[in-house]
Amino acid sequence: MTALANSLSCLIALGCASFLWRKGSSPYRNGALLAGFLVLFCLFTYFAGDISVDPTLEHYPFRMLALCLCLSTTSLSLYRRRYLVLAQALWCWIELFGGIALYYRGFDIAWTRILALLSMSLCSTFLSKISKEMEFCLMVFWLAVWVFF
Amino acid sequence: MGMDRREFIKSCSLVAVMGLLFGCRKIPLEELAGDLPSLKRFEDEVKLALSQAKKSLDLVKIPTPGALKIPGASTLNRFGMAIDLDACDGCGKCILACNLENNVPLVPDEDAARGRFMHWVDMRGSAPFMCAHCGNAPCERVCPTGAANHTPDGLSAMMYKRCTGSRFCGANCPVQARKFNFNDAQKLGLARQFNREVPLRDKGVMEKCSLCLHRLQNDRLDFKTKLTVGATTADAEWRGRGVKTACAEACPKNAIIFGNWLDEKSPLVKLSKNRELYAPRELADLDPSVVFMRGRR
Amino acid sequence: MFKYLMLAGLALFLPGLYALGYSIFEGPSAWMVDSRTFWGTPISLFVFWIGLAHAGTLLSAIFLALDIKLDRRTALIAELSTLVCLVFAGIFPLMHLGVVENFYMVMPLLDARGNFANVGSPLVWDFCCIAVYALLSLVFFMTHLKTREIPALDKYRKPMAWLLFPLVLWVHTVVSLDFATAFVPEWCGAFFPVYFIAGAIFSGLALMNLLLCSEGYRVRLLERLQLIFSWFMCAIWVWDLMLKGSLCTSAFIFAGVLPQFRMIAVIRENKWGRIALSLSVLIGLFLERLYIVSPEFGSYAASPLNWIDWGLIAFSVGGFVLLFFGIRRYLSWKMEGAGSYFGEVDGTDLADAEQQELEKEGARGIEKPKKGFYIQPWASEEYHVLRLPLLVGFAIALVYSIWVLSQSVFANVEFSFANIVPLLYPVIALVTTVTLYLRAYFVEHAFTLHRHEKWMAAILLVLVAACAGTFFAGGSSQNSTNTIDSQSIGVDAPISQSHARLLWNARCATCHGVKGNFNEKFVREFYPVPQKLDVQRLDSLGADSLVKVILNGRANMNAYAGRLTPEEAHGLVNYMYSLAKEGEK
Repeated sequence: MTALANSLSCLIALGCASFLWRKGSSPYRNGALLAGFLVLFCLFTYFAGDISVDPTLEHYPFRMLALCLCLSTTSLSLYRRRYLVLAQALWCWIELFGGIALYYRGFDIAWTRILALLSMSLCSTFLSKISKEMEFCLMVFWLAVWVFF
Repeated sequence: MGMDRREFIKSCSLVAVMGLLFGCRKIPLEELAGDLPSLKRFEDEVKLALSQAKKSLDLVKIPTPGALKIPGASTLNRFGMAIDLDACDGCGKCILACNLENNVPLVPDEDAARGRFMHWVDMRGSAPFMCAHCGNAPCERVCPTGAANHTPDGLSAMMYKRCTGSRFCGANCPVQARKFNFNDAQKLGLARQFNREVPLRDKGVMEKCSLCLHRLQNDRLDFKTKLTVGATTADAEWRGRGVKTACAEACPKNAIIFGNWLDEKSPLVKLSKNRELYAPRELADLDPSVVFMRGRR
Repeated sequence: MFKYLMLAGLALFLPGLYALGYSIFEGPSAWMVDSRTFWGTPISLFVFWIGLAHAGTLLSAIFLALDIKLDRRTALIAELSTLVCLVFAGIFPLMHLGVVENFYMVMPLLDARGNFANVGSPLVWDFCCIAVYALLSLVFFMTHLKTREIPALDKYRKPMAWLLFPLVLWVHTVVSLDFATAFVPEWCGAFFPVYFIAGAIFSGLALMNLLLCSEGYRVRLLERLQLIFSWFMCAIWVWDLMLKGSLCTSAFIFAGVLPQFRMIAVIRENKWGRIALSLSVLIGLFLERLYIVSPEFGSYAASPLNWIDWGLIAFSVGGFVLLFFGIRRYLSWKMEGAGSYFGEVDGTDLADAEQQELEKEGARGIEKPKKGFYIQPWASEEYHVLRLPLLVGFAIALVYSIWVLSQSVFANVEFSFANIVPLLYPVIALVTTVTLYLRAYFVEHAFTLHRHEKWMAAILLVLVAACAGTFFAGGSSQNSTNTIDSQSIGVDAPISQSHARLLWNARCATCHGVKGNFNEKFVREFYPVPQKLDVQRLDSLGADSLVKVILNGRANMNAYAGRLTPEEAHGLVNYMYSLAKEGEK
């Protein structure tokens, strides 16, 4: 997948994130949105990258979904810190175990990305009330991890 | 219901125990054991396997195998084979030779009908095909007990007594070179020990081509003995010179060449020098030791 | 009600038991195996039951950790179903082995001979994760059961829930890695961890809804989640279809299409409709597991399910029904009267339960945090409880991983940190729980044990120690005569002097020395010194008796009957004469 498509994907995830967890929305709406986003990400990966050649794309839509979840947690009003940490842990999880599966088939694990996520999810447990600036910083950090690591 | 709880539980457990016992009863097949299968049956089975071989080979070019990259690997020896596709005519003599050398058992008829043979050497695309002894073997990585492991000399070895038969290695071999002992061949009268140097395998363990490990070990012992007596004037390192696998010995066209990839004097290195080397597509990235050669470079 | 379910379970279980016994006797050839893979139904059933085993911890522990209210009865049923599912999930990987009695070699602990499992194998991770998960689930269930008697134990439920939260996901991730690390084209998928977890949660929800139907009430939250997860599963199947170009159609219909009928109110409000929906999900997901494990199943006509496969399925389903409702009935029969262990709340009036809980907590003097109540970082109650045990857990896990990395006994297989990562969390969770409860019992005196419970614990400890000791010692070290041929190798003809010399150097020289003058270092260290070699002594013993000693052994001398022919032994005796004469010169 080209670098351009890669950065485009995180913009898509950012766009999708804004639809999630609206005030008063039912679990059905959020569930359907998440499933729909996943299909969208799958389609994006299918057309933007050559999945028959590059096995590292196998978990790409799920990484996008995890990124999307991370980004969406910043707009939560209740238990934000907890879900922020959990969403990052989920992303880390997908990266780590996807990496291990690929490692057995001869690919390297993206340790920098995993370590960055792990340390950030540890750090964010120390955050007290999360301010607007902090939210922005976090989002920038995730996007940077996505694009550069 | 006319029984109280205790009685109910008692009768349940009784029935359960009977069910287990019934399940574990000996099957009448055992009576067949006793007389050993004739050589003719082994020959017939090879013919049957040859007639069933369909799979064609999808080969890609690979570089000459070098020293192993695993920890503890020898820098002097890496045994392997090259199969000359220009010379091979797919006669299948190597399969029979291998079966007799390594005491490969017969399989029952229903397995044979499904193409599930125990032969260490298969015929694929009218060329012999066996375990490639990959330097980076996926089977060894997933073996839970370490029964499948690598020798320093580059053989992918099996420890039969350490095998629990989880069959994970078989599932993870991209070319299905591993054979599982589904049947107790000794009890069914399907096994015969032609060669006393190779043990018969029990039911429930994996096996596959060993590159005639016992021949190499005999040669090594012989070399070391001669070294202590001073009967040899060669250099002090054992390079496995003069050893041939059973299939290589049996090949009428000399299409199977056994040798040491790291030894310049080995026939393997000499004969593959100006040839193009190939490996099955699935194995190309796994650093195979047993390769195919075709054409001139 | 439970009695009839148990009888139905028994009717399935007994013929299934026969199939199980037969397949253990007959080995892996008993059930359907397609031409490319080696596993078949037992492993499908294993993945299926381990997925169902997530119902309990998912619903009980994760909901508890995330402050989603679930009443006591539902939570206990969920936890119990986990334990019972784990029994059957544990049986299948063991019975599918080719050499069942060697299963302990999969444990990543050193045995007396210095053998060590290959901890880089996903099967070893499986073994550890599932064992730890079963133990912790049992502890969690018992704690919950005991809170009626000992309210102080409630303090430990939430920390345990946080420990189990990652563990339950970890277990199924590791199960998915059995497949995802392999080279089978159908199993290639770095997304398998998410895929398997989603499938596990989905099937767990369906099982819970089914069990709640048998209890005669419903929890709408779980039904909603079941519907939502069916959409998510469909999305994942879309991706699987894109990657591999194949889809298990029957699974898609059963678990993807049919659950959508929940949107129709008539079906949703009818008990039998709900049962049908949950059953269809379970059937669909089982078919999917079957399809994943044997990709050729269905498309390959020569490998249909045979009676053993059906028997194994019947064994697990019947066994689950029998065991689950048996325990359920036992608990309610024995305990419901005295303190109503399973609670009276029937899910429809959660508000009531919440009110009760509030009152209870008010009575314990804990101020109930309001929704969105802000807690300082690293200051929550459960963190305080977990802090020290978690530290111990991390420390032990660190020590263990260093020890494991240094164990390269016979596998010349490349090893890196990635190979042991999946083992780390189970070790942490196990050590943390043990520390937590040891502290609770011995230091904080949070709970006491009855006399019979103490006895049980002691007996269990002795049993575990005995098993560990047996596994450490391993089996007999005798060579098996079945596989090692006891016939001699060489030809049966008189041998030449030079051949005898080679033999002497190969077989005898290690102890007796190249010139017959003893390898003193070895001999002194390991055995008393053998007799000195001279002609007089050889004459007094006689050549024939020497041959017998060589072939049959005497005192510390090994028997060489299997490795030398009598002629070779004769040759060796002659060579000994020549050595002795040389020595006297």
